[in-house]
Amino acid sequence: MNRSFIALSFFKRGATSVLILFLTVSLLFVLVRIAPGDPSQKYLSPNLSPQLFEKVKSSFQLDKSIAEQYISFVKNAFTGDFGVSYKYHRPVNEVIFEVLPFTIIFSLSAFAVQFVGGLVLALWAFHNHKKFLDKFLSRGSILLYAVPSFVSGLFFVYIFSVQLKLFPSSGIKTVGTLEENIFLLGLDYLHHLFLPLVVLSLTGLPIYFKYFRQHFEEHQEKLYTIYLRANGVAENKIFSRHIIPNSLNSIIAYAGVDLGILFSGALITEVIFSLPGMGRLTVNAILEHDYPLIIGCTLTAGVLIILTNLAADLIRMKIDKRLIKGLIN
Amino acid sequence: MKRIRLSVFDFMLLLLLLTAIFRASLLVKIGMLFISYLAFWVTDFDKAIAQFSFGMIDYFCSLFMLVIISLVLILKRKKIKQPQSFSFLHNTAVVILYVFLFAPLITNNNYDFQKDLSVTQLLPPLSSTNVLHLKPHHAMAGQSEKFFSQKKEVVKASFDEEILFIDSFKIADSTLSYFQNGMKNSLPLSAVELIDGKPNITTKIFFLGSDELGRDIFTRIIYGTRISMLVGVCAVVLSLLIGVLFGFIAGFYGGVIDIILSRINDMFLTFPIIFFVILILAFFGNSFTSVIVVLGFSGWMSLFRIVKGEVVSLNNKDYFISAQQLGLSGTKLLLKEALPVIATPVIVNTVFQFGNVVLSESALSFLGLGVGSDYPSWGAMINSGQAYLSQAWWMIFFPGFAIVLTILTINDFGKKVSRYFNPRLYE
Repeated sequence: MNRSFIALSFFKRGATSVLILFLTVSLLFVLVRIAPGDPSQKYLSPNLSPQLFEKVKSSFQLDKSIAEQYISFVKNAFTGDFGVSYKYHRPVNEVIFEVLPFTIIFSLSAFAVQFVGGLVLALWAFHNHKKFLDKFLSRGSILLYAVPSFVSGLFFVYIFSVQLKLFPSSGIKTVGTLEENIFLLGLDYLHHLFLPLVVLSLTGLPIYFKYFRQHFEEHQEKLYTIYLRANGVAENKIFSRHIIPNSLNSIIAYAGVDLGILFSGALITEVIFSLPGMGRLTVNAILEHDYPLIIGCTLTAGVLIILTNLAADLIRMKIDKRLIKGLIN
Repeated sequence: MKRIRLSVFDFMLLLLLLTAIFRASLLVKIGMLFISYLAFWVTDFDKAIAQFSFGMIDYFCSLFMLVIISLVLILKRKKIKQPQSFSFLHNTAVVILYVFLFAPLITNNNYDFQKDLSVTQLLPPLSSTNVLHLKPHHAMAGQSEKFFSQKKEVVKASFDEEILFIDSFKIADSTLSYFQNGMKNSLPLSAVELIDGKPNITTKIFFLGSDELGRDIFTRIIYGTRISMLVGVCAVVLSLLIGVLFGFIAGFYGGVIDIILSRINDMFLTFPIIFFVILILAFFGNSFTSVIVVLGFSGWMSLFRIVKGEVVSLNNKDYFISAQQLGLSGTKLLLKEALPVIATPVIVNTVFQFGNVVLSESALSFLGLGVGSDYPSWGAMINSGQAYLSQAWWMIFFPGFAIVLTILTINDFGKKVSRYFNPRLYE
């Protein structure tokens, strides 16, 4: 496999991502154009003269043809110029960058809990193969999978916030915490984010558990495992050096998509705990017809998803070199 | 010791018979209403058309289905192949189907019924209230009045001006004063329905409590089943049509069409679809049909992939090529040659998709973008209960329980279907 082939594959891969982004932008343009009402009508009032209204219209480029509007829309979207939010009266980029750090930290930690938790529980279940614990965990994961986050979230709020008063039920920090003491501030954040983290993790945990458990069982009976065992390789070594890396491969592909969707906002969890995340920002923008913000949020989410997918693919290629050929096409 | 095996069909029959026993008086009333309604069709055609309502038809249908299904189950009992084991989730599937079909017989309340908020608001489960019956305003006589009174007894309206929910009452010189949450009001005794000189007081039990508008949660959950199931079935059928059609086109014709459809499919798969759904619902209004259409359009991706993969492999099979060479049209190839082969994975996927749609519908309702406030939906009930979390846990717990149980049942059913078609995978 020569270097130019790999470069070509990466180029193809990048082109596909850009194409998908382009399709998304086009779909957004169509949706925004055919949605009832246009942005200039927000400024309509008895005091507004028709000449001024025309001026407002032309400031939104509504007097130009659809094709021209589309071209400038795509150009602005790809240069990252989303304009000014109608609601916040600030540049969209500024609004998004305010919530992005929180979203990324929050979803990364939830993802870590899901992934590591699923792995550990699956290992634990697998070591007690077909015993009570294994069955209990499998049944439990099926049950947990059927519990939507708005049910489990409110359940946890009721138990831990309303009844036991252990954790706050909303927000990310107490009003009036001293900003200087970083330790106390961190503790306060953790105190507020513990419940949301648990709720968000519980939605993905059973999926990872099931995947890992299933793959362990599959690889346990593969020929290479039997060969290694016949050659007297220690069971622990087979597991840590061969079965886990082989299982990881397909799980990471799923994890890439999953993490991307988490980055675009854990909508329900954010709504329940009123957290300032991407999900709530997007939905509020949609509900208030704040077009620049909608487009900004959607494209940010799209870029993040494509990046996480790319990262997942790179990790998979690191594990299994053969994938470089097949994955790119 | 031989274990008693109760089959799913026996369980269904048991449920139906229990309904017939407990709701015997209601069933008789529905039968009588049906007879007087039929009489209208003969004597007074205009009035029959004017009195037509889906609520009434619902009751008639429930009555007929109850009779027909019980008869079929009794007569064909021996012939129906009995499933082997008796599991909890089998029975929840039967219960969900039963609730879906016979909702009016199970509760016999209107899901929007609300009156005297101060008394009925936020009642805990199993609490009861006193109902004071007032004298009807109009005397009932003649054929059409008789029909109206019959209809009123069977088909419950969302408002009833002839009853009052009260805490307690006191009678003093031909006036009746009643108390509603500390407020005192009075009525002349002549306005109240009397039995042996005493006011007619009955109790109404709120089996699972009441919500912030004094509506019965049990009734709303029962009717909510219908919304979930209807939205689920319609949306799944829609995504089935789209997925199979597009998948077949992409797999069969290939080339540019395949590339375009696959890229669109990629876009839908990589993107958090919930935002598109919310965007469309927020821009173009949310209603029963728009929720179905949007959820249907957002669920075609996995079906597309499965169908396309299967059709691509079909393209090399001899019988498919010979069918093509014989000159069969695209439609015939899809219906006669491809569908029987791809049916198995499609059916399995459809069942799981059904679970996803039910979940999405309740999530959308929870966000306030569901089928609207005209219909009771589990997600919307949880949403309204969120504000009363510290006072009324039952507003969230019971609808949440219904959602979890339904999704568990659907997933389990999907697993059973998949095991039925691919027994080797589960050995």
